Amino acid sequence: MNEFAGAGADRGPQDASVVVPIVKASAGSLTDAQTKVMARDVNVHYGEKQALFNVSIDIPDRAVTAFIGPSGCGKTTFLRCINRMNDTIDNCRVQGTLEVEGKNIYASDVDPVVVRMRVGMVFQKPNPFPKSIYENVAYGPRIHGLVKAKGELDEIVEKSLRRAALWDEVKDRLHAPGTGLSGGQQQRLVIARTVAVSPHVILMDEPCSALDPIATAKVEELIDELRENFCIIIVTHSMAQAARVSQKTAFFHLGTLVETGPTEEIFTKPRDSRTQDYITGRFG
Amino acid sequence: MTDHTVKAFTEELDALTHEVARMGGLAETAVTESIQAISRRDTTLAQSVIERDAKIDAAQHDVEKRAIRLFALRQPFASDLRVVLTGWRIASELERVGDLAKNIAKRALILNQSEPIQLTKSVERMGRIAATQLKQVLDAYSNRDVRAAVGVWFHDEDVDAHYNSLFRELLTYMMEDPRTIGACAHLLFVAKNIERIGDHSTNIAEYIHYLVTGEEIATERPRADAETTDT
Repeated sequence: MNEFAGAGADRGPQDASVVVPIVKASAGSLTDAQTKVMARDVNVHYGEKQALFNVSIDIPDRAVTAFIGPSGCGKTTFLRCINRMNDTIDNCRVQGTLEVEGKNIYASDVDPVVVRMRVGMVFQKPNPFPKSIYENVAYGPRIHGLVKAKGELDEIVEKSLRRAALWDEVKDRLHAPGTGLSGGQQQRLVIARTVAVSPHVILMDEPCSALDPIATAKVEELIDELRENFCIIIVTHSMAQAARVSQKTAFFHLGTLVETGPTEEIFTKPRDSRTQDYITGRFG
Repeated sequence: MTDHTVKAFTEELDALTHEVARMGGLAETAVTESIQAISRRDTTLAQSVIERDAKIDAAQHDVEKRAIRLFALRQPFASDLRVVLTGWRIASELERVGDLAKNIAKRALILNQSEPIQLTKSVERMGRIAATQLKQVLDAYSNRDVRAAVGVWFHDEDVDAHYNSLFRELLTYMMEDPRTIGACAHLLFVAKNIERIGDHSTNIAEYIHYLVTGEEIATERPRADAETTDT
């Protein structure tokens, strides 16, 4: 069954308890990790201007991969290819192969809305819906038909809020507006919303840029917990954050993927001089 | 390599490596002069070496403080990380070299109070080899020259081989004339200290390799010293 297929395919309501199980396994070494997202020769044009040149990368499951690089290097463009957000831009053309869990997400029978459920995204500025905390988390499972009964929905909401390390702070005011939370809490609410629909992959575009150091630390701790069960890709301007949270790092520059490797190696002995110059602050 | 966009970072890294190089110069002088104090039976020189060791200790503390500051305030990565880390470790090696030179000078004071022994010539030769090695490895550090560093790393056997033959010579000497046992015992310690100085030069060579390549020297260090117990 092609789980990315559009409305026409066989897709009955799924068992709400089939959320990705919380298996406290170790992350394991990168070499024996499964590839969750595979890209080969991805080229992206905005009209005449080419933004990405032949990007190929394997992104492992149950790990955090960081995309780093100077402004305009293409890292966010590439991130947005993985959940087909670039479809919303009129003159944007994506070529090449992109697979999530071995399935081509740009195939003609694939529904981009379903892709965006399975490949969730957290943005720089927290964007909770103008609804209650409960409704923010319940909305996704409900409209995607993931639950049958309200009891199941309550369960998903609690599980997701617990996973986002937010439950204890909001359990007594689930019907308060999501927008009334602090910035850090809003971001964790958005993360809860994302995990509520059992994504395969979680994309994060500078998730902590708008947060203070304490909120940032809480989100980083959350990322550390989530990576035991999800494939996470994070775009960040902070070298130190990439070093702290990721296991694999990819350096982009002028639309090309210059170097990838285990984070420890990238930050102690990078192979390319451009990578070295960027991470040591010798650019420009 | 280009400067950091934030120039103060480059300045702080340079200041650290300059301090390590300066410390290297002090250690080199201490080793050379402590050996001279033995061979020329120069008590004044020996006392001077002993007093000046405090400067080497102070330099090591300075390097350490700079390194901690760089780690805390700049969070260095990649090559910068290796510069700070190896600068700190090399300073520790040089501080030990200074101590060993001071100990040699202390033994010189004692030896100068008894009759001269022929074997000090052999000790002097060994000392000069160790001093040359130290100079070569410090030059390699200044020039970030991996090949020169690896050269020193391979030739640690020379100092070790000298130590072994000197050990046997001294034993023979002591057996032939028991009145020389006191002085020979001190010379044994001096020889051991020189052999240790050679070991520190080898360690510094390993750090230079890591500094430049980011990799550790892969094989086992050549060891030729038969008597490896600590004295």
